[in-house]
Amino acid sequence: MELELGLALPGSDRTPELGVHGEKRASLCRKRGVDEMLAKATLPLFIQKDNDEDGDDDSRQSKHLQDLNFGSRVLVGWPPVKMWRRKSNNCSRRRANCVKVNMEGVAIGRKVDLSLHDSYQAFFLTLGQMFPKKQHDGEESDAAYYKVTYEDEDGDWMLVGDVPWEAFIQSVRRLKILN
Amino acid sequence: MVGGFRWAAMFPDEVWEHVFSFLPADADRNAAALVCRAWYRIERRSRWRVFVGNCYAVEPAAAVRRFPEVRAAAIKGKPHFADFNLVPSDWGGGAEAWVEAMVEGWPHLEELRLKRMVVSDDCLELIARCFKNFKVLSLVSCEGFSTAGLAAIAANCRNLRELDLHENEVEDNCLHWMSHFPESFASLVTLNIACLEERLVGLLHRVPQLVDLGTGKFAAQHHPELFSKLESAIAGCKNLKSLSGFWEAGPTYLPAIYSVCEGLTSLNLSYATIQGPELIKLISWCKNLQRLWVMDLIEDDGLIAVAASCKLLQELRVFPSDPYGAAQPISLTEHGLVAISAGCPMLHSVLYFCRQMTNAALLTVAKNCPNFTCFRLCIMEPHTPDYITRQPLDAGFSAIVESCKHLRRLSLSGLLTDLVFKSIGASANCLEMLSVAFAGDGDAGLHYILSGCKNLRKLEIRDCPFGDKPLLDNAAKLETMRSLWMSSCSVTLGACRQLARKMPLLNVEVINERKRGLPLELQPDNCPVEKLYIYRTVAGPRSDTPSCVWILR
Repeated sequence: MELELGLALPGSDRTPELGVHGEKRASLCRKRGVDEMLAKATLPLFIQKDNDEDGDDDSRQSKHLQDLNFGSRVLVGWPPVKMWRRKSNNCSRRRANCVKVNMEGVAIGRKVDLSLHDSYQAFFLTLGQMFPKKQHDGEESDAAYYKVTYEDEDGDWMLVGDVPWEAFIQSVRRLKILN
Repeated sequence: MVGGFRWAAMFPDEVWEHVFSFLPADADRNAAALVCRAWYRIERRSRWRVFVGNCYAVEPAAAVRRFPEVRAAAIKGKPHFADFNLVPSDWGGGAEAWVEAMVEGWPHLEELRLKRMVVSDDCLELIARCFKNFKVLSLVSCEGFSTAGLAAIAANCRNLRELDLHENEVEDNCLHWMSHFPESFASLVTLNIACLEERLVGLLHRVPQLVDLGTGKFAAQHHPELFSKLESAIAGCKNLKSLSGFWEAGPTYLPAIYSVCEGLTSLNLSYATIQGPELIKLISWCKNLQRLWVMDLIEDDGLIAVAASCKLLQELRVFPSDPYGAAQPISLTEHGLVAISAGCPMLHSVLYFCRQMTNAALLTVAKNCPNFTCFRLCIMEPHTPDYITRQPLDAGFSAIVESCKHLRRLSLSGLLTDLVFKSIGASANCLEMLSVAFAGDGDAGLHYILSGCKNLRKLEIRDCPFGDKPLLDNAAKLETMRSLWMSSCSVTLGACRQLARKMPLLNVEVINERKRGLPLELQPDNCPVEKLYIYRTVAGPRSDTPSCVWILR
């Protein structure tokens, strides 16, 4: 994810100046009294619970990490996705992990998002749907019959399935299905 | 109107009670109760269902006293924005006061639905012990209890028909709480729980009459044999109409539900990290769907397929699979929304998370779906304009409110000026709940809403440049509403003090979580207010406020 350091949205013509509360000033807005602006200026830019009297530091920290970065501050509770849903999905830990898949002899390759799979079983199922294969006797084969190889971070070609799934998704760069 | 004639005495009370039983809505019963003392008396003794939209609007004892024959109660606690971590965790919403009053005054209570409340195990044990004919327990977005409390419910409520526990924070300290359910459990029709364990499958075999089944995560990769047991258990539930949960494991488990798809009217796949093609295949089996909740992994193509196969669809919710990523691997755009609006003639409720929108698309949706009752659009990046014209989305949302005359709930997003609020104030006559974030230019925006929208009940606003003036100018409006939430706006303490003085029937709660500097009582009037929660009440200031909440008088 690219860190957007400017306060303007990418591609937008306006460069709204964001006040402490994110409200736009000048061209888009109403007049604010100087006193109000000064009063606001004393508030910190981040919404953080720095005096954590209840303990539970870790969970609060991770909650902040989950929140959207917007301009110069962390937005609490945006987008409005329920806390419970975030936890159960572990959405914030998921980053798209797309790798190219080519089958020997097939001109057109595909792309697989490994972050949407949690096991080799699920992964082979997807591969089987992407590259359906018919056996000589006309039956569709189980994707597990494929010989799938992958190029790892060192540039070596390995057989898929030898290392634990978590290690595999970290090191895989691209895939090739052998015919 | 014949003065002095006791026309209510023309019929015995039972006749009036029977007449009142046809009144569909609480509002109608409330109106009847105001006609004369006799009707007030008769109505209150015959009301058996109450809905308390704000647990602090009335004293529990007062509610129990007024309606002594209640069999079904629904109570809501925390403000909606508590779902998004905007309300301090110790804000309130405890259920004990209500449960204790109900146990005292409504011993025949059969049904209890709590939302966004703090419910302790003690509460659950009280409920389990004291309500002999308890049939329905629904706890949604609640916290404070554990599976030990649920064990008490399972063990004691022998006539349980519905147990709905979705989206709660439950401490799991009693592993086999479900084993406390009776062996023969012919009464259970709805089961919606947050955890799936092996015993659920066993339970499913005992409740073939189940109509509504929901589970949470399903770590099925650790239990491969569970799959076939699950498949047969589900197939045995021939009455199944509603299904949710289970699918974190991925597409390998979908076939377990194929056998019941055709009968399903409600399907919640919003925890499912399943990609578009698998989703399309599954949904193509579900021709009778009325409600569908999915992740944006369905993409535009998937929604086009839904539009083609689910002609009975009434409610669609599309949740973001990756709300915080800036990368956009998901091709879910305004096109999916337009396709659904065109293909599903019965659609009336939408929640849609996406990253781009155009006014043209919204105009099309408005034209296709004049029957919307609920339209919630969340464009995930704040201040996002129409991506083609670069204009604000005022025109699009205005079209929605002007076309959808029955719209009751609306959530706005994207780049919006005061113009959209002008349209909403003028056209949204049925609107009851409005959610606003990162929108508007100034005070005028809020003024349009508060001076219009004659049926507005709940207004929640965050990060908008709305200040004191519209609040003070429309103080009386606040008493006609259930509640107002404003956070990260431009309201000052002085205005809140004025409001509190002027309106004794409002609780003006100022929430300031940064514990530094002077206490709030000593802060000057121009001190900015972080978070403000105003609600009407006949109970006066509550006594359970935490240190970060001040109720102004």
